[in-house]
Amino acid sequence: MIWKTLKVGFHRLGSPPSFYRFSTLVSPWLWAGFALCTAIGVYYALYVVPPDYQQSDSFRILYVHVPSAWQAMAGYVVMSILAAIALVWRIRMTEIMAMMCAPIGAAFTAICLATGSIWGRPMWGTWWEWDARLTSMLVLLFIYLGIMGLYAAFEDRRKGARVACILVLVGLVNIPIIHFSVEWWTTLHQGKTIRIFGESSMHYSMMPPLIWMTIAVKLMFGAALLDRSRNELLTQDRRKGWVQKKLIQEELK
Amino acid sequence: MIPELEYAIYVWSSYGIFAVVVAWQVLQPLLYRRRLMAELREEQALQSGEYDDPNP
Repeated sequence: MIWKTLKVGFHRLGSPPSFYRFSTLVSPWLWAGFALCTAIGVYYALYVVPPDYQQSDSFRILYVHVPSAWQAMAGYVVMSILAAIALVWRIRMTEIMAMMCAPIGAAFTAICLATGSIWGRPMWGTWWEWDARLTSMLVLLFIYLGIMGLYAAFEDRRKGARVACILVLVGLVNIPIIHFSVEWWTTLHQGKTIRIFGESSMHYSMMPPLIWMTIAVKLMFGAALLDRSRNELLTQDRRKGWVQKKLIQEELK
Repeated sequence: MIPELEYAIYVWSSYGIFAVVVAWQVLQPLLYRRRLMAELREEQALQSGEYDDPNP
């Protein structure tokens, strides 16, 4: 019963007016959740958690760096799933959503690279090093930018999305490279600190802000994705009846 | 516990970058949507012959 309801709900989201309604309803709640989690996370990160015994206060940068890095990679996986669905079943909404993942993922990758570099200066004594983890993360940023550029290069948005979706799937190979880079090569970047299965080398007293910030960036990804997809949908369907009807309804409000 | 002065510039600049990028993720779709809706309303007014030209 629940499965059937979910299936019907998912199929309904493929309809542009339904998606428009859904995103208008859900997006503000996701933004509110993001604001709340970030406020708690930043408060814990800057004022509650004690300084690290080796890195002192500089380790607080990791509370924005690590969640952004995780989300940059998780966002790519989400984009790849949507791209695969778009290529196989040709569902336009998934095409749009896959394409709208790219600027958000690029933003998280940029945060990760910038904050990592800022942390590296006092801790490693350098802003940048061509080590495997850093370089593969930079490649991820270029892949995101490439997808955005390729999509924008086509006048026919659907054709652009289909071509860019192929690039998305090709670029997926970089995700395991980023993840395992610290194991496969000798890197300046530290190895795994936090493990879901097994013992983490990070003390539990330092965990709460990381958890809050991780939840926050996930909510933000969802909210920004819905907002951007809704805008792209409106742009593509601007001549269609449902958009014209929506405009008249909003005028009457 | 406020970041020590030694690392304060690094910590605050990192949180600043995060704040700026997040603000952009919130504002960009909002501004784009506002512009798009204005364009669509103008197009609709033109089609219905109710367009009030600001520069006649």
